[in-house]
Amino acid sequence: MSIGGYIKMESPQNIKKRLKSVNNIGQITKAMELVSATKMRKSQEIALASRPYAFAGLELLANLSVLEKSAKLKMPELFEVRKKINKVLFIVVSSDKGLAGAFNSSVFKKFELHLKAEKEDWKHEEHLYLAVGEKANAYLNKKGFKVIKKFVHAGDYTTPEQVLPLSDYIIKGYLNKDFDRVIAVSTHFKSALKQEPHIRRVLPIDFEHVKDTIKEIIPEKGKFAELIKEQNINFVPDEKKVAEYLIEPNPQEVIEKLAEHLFFMQVYHLILEANASEHSARRMAMKTASDNAKDLSETLNLQYNKSRQGKITTEIAEISAGAEAQQ
Amino acid sequence: MKLSIYSLKKVLFQGSAQLLNCKTQLGEITVLDNHEPLITVLTKGTMKVVRLPMSNETAGKEEYFEIKSGFLEVRQDNEVRCIVEQ
Repeated sequence: MSIGGYIKMESPQNIKKRLKSVNNIGQITKAMELVSATKMRKSQEIALASRPYAFAGLELLANLSVLEKSAKLKMPELFEVRKKINKVLFIVVSSDKGLAGAFNSSVFKKFELHLKAEKEDWKHEEHLYLAVGEKANAYLNKKGFKVIKKFVHAGDYTTPEQVLPLSDYIIKGYLNKDFDRVIAVSTHFKSALKQEPHIRRVLPIDFEHVKDTIKEIIPEKGKFAELIKEQNINFVPDEKKVAEYLIEPNPQEVIEKLAEHLFFMQVYHLILEANASEHSARRMAMKTASDNAKDLSETLNLQYNKSRQGKITTEIAEISAGAEAQQ
Repeated sequence: MKLSIYSLKKVLFQGSAQLLNCKTQLGEITVLDNHEPLITVLTKGTMKVVRLPMSNETAGKEEYFEIKSGFLEVRQDNEVRCIVEQ
């Protein structure tokens, strides 16, 4: 078949093929967008469900820390800031799967900036790395960092059972002096549209840091934001009241156990927040992709019609030219 | 007494209860109304809660929760709070 006259324009068949595949891509991304939106909402709900636990635990800690002031009790090792920091553990929290827009790369970028910014003071420190999520593992390995452990394949919603080995591992290593400070790089879920990479020191435990993490369970904007107003929790305990508490078996043991629980809770929340962020980042990425697919399919459709029209025009011209020649 | 039991996944119990029975590090204890303020560590076992008879339906209804570990806090104003790991 001769297409001599319109070399510039692709054949209608080719355009049709491309149009079909673009439409297919659009359908897939649209489906992924909807799935991610549901997953995002669910992971937010999971995070909110643990709020009462978190607040009760924190209040208990606040009550107990009054005893520390009255010198009845030594703060557990998990709270103590070590004088000499030799080894630092970095926890990099990412997702297992890709196609989530800038979700993973923004965490890694923040991490790199952090490493660069304070390099001078850290010359004597040894760095260790722990990867949460397949992507973080791949990234750290590519950079040639020493990954001492990885936690991957947690699924869409991380459960407390899945986090327990992770927090146990960190606590054991910390008490064993395998590392003297633990820093987490993860994503903070501000709202469905906005997520920010965050760097936090998780060990030694800082009461203010834990409090911040728990406050952040509620996103700043969006569906659950109004919950902030309801909460009115007092973290300044009444010293007289605390003195009356009977503490069994003894305050020291209770606060040590509580510290472990709080640490576990904090790690759990970091990961939950990363989960919610991952799903909403993916939702946004997929929304952009389906919008692009729609635009592309419109342009291609126009091209297809033009090319078809062009072909018809040439064919008619050829026929009428032939007819004229015969006369 | 006002009792609330929280786990990381959800609120297990919230409401008025007659009795709470649980295992602590020093042995099994039962918390009744107006217990003295107490903070203790819970160990693996089953918690038993007897609801306060509010109406005929819930009267004396018993509830059981399997726990792995947790904390119990009895507060001054006849309020009991537990945070547990399941």
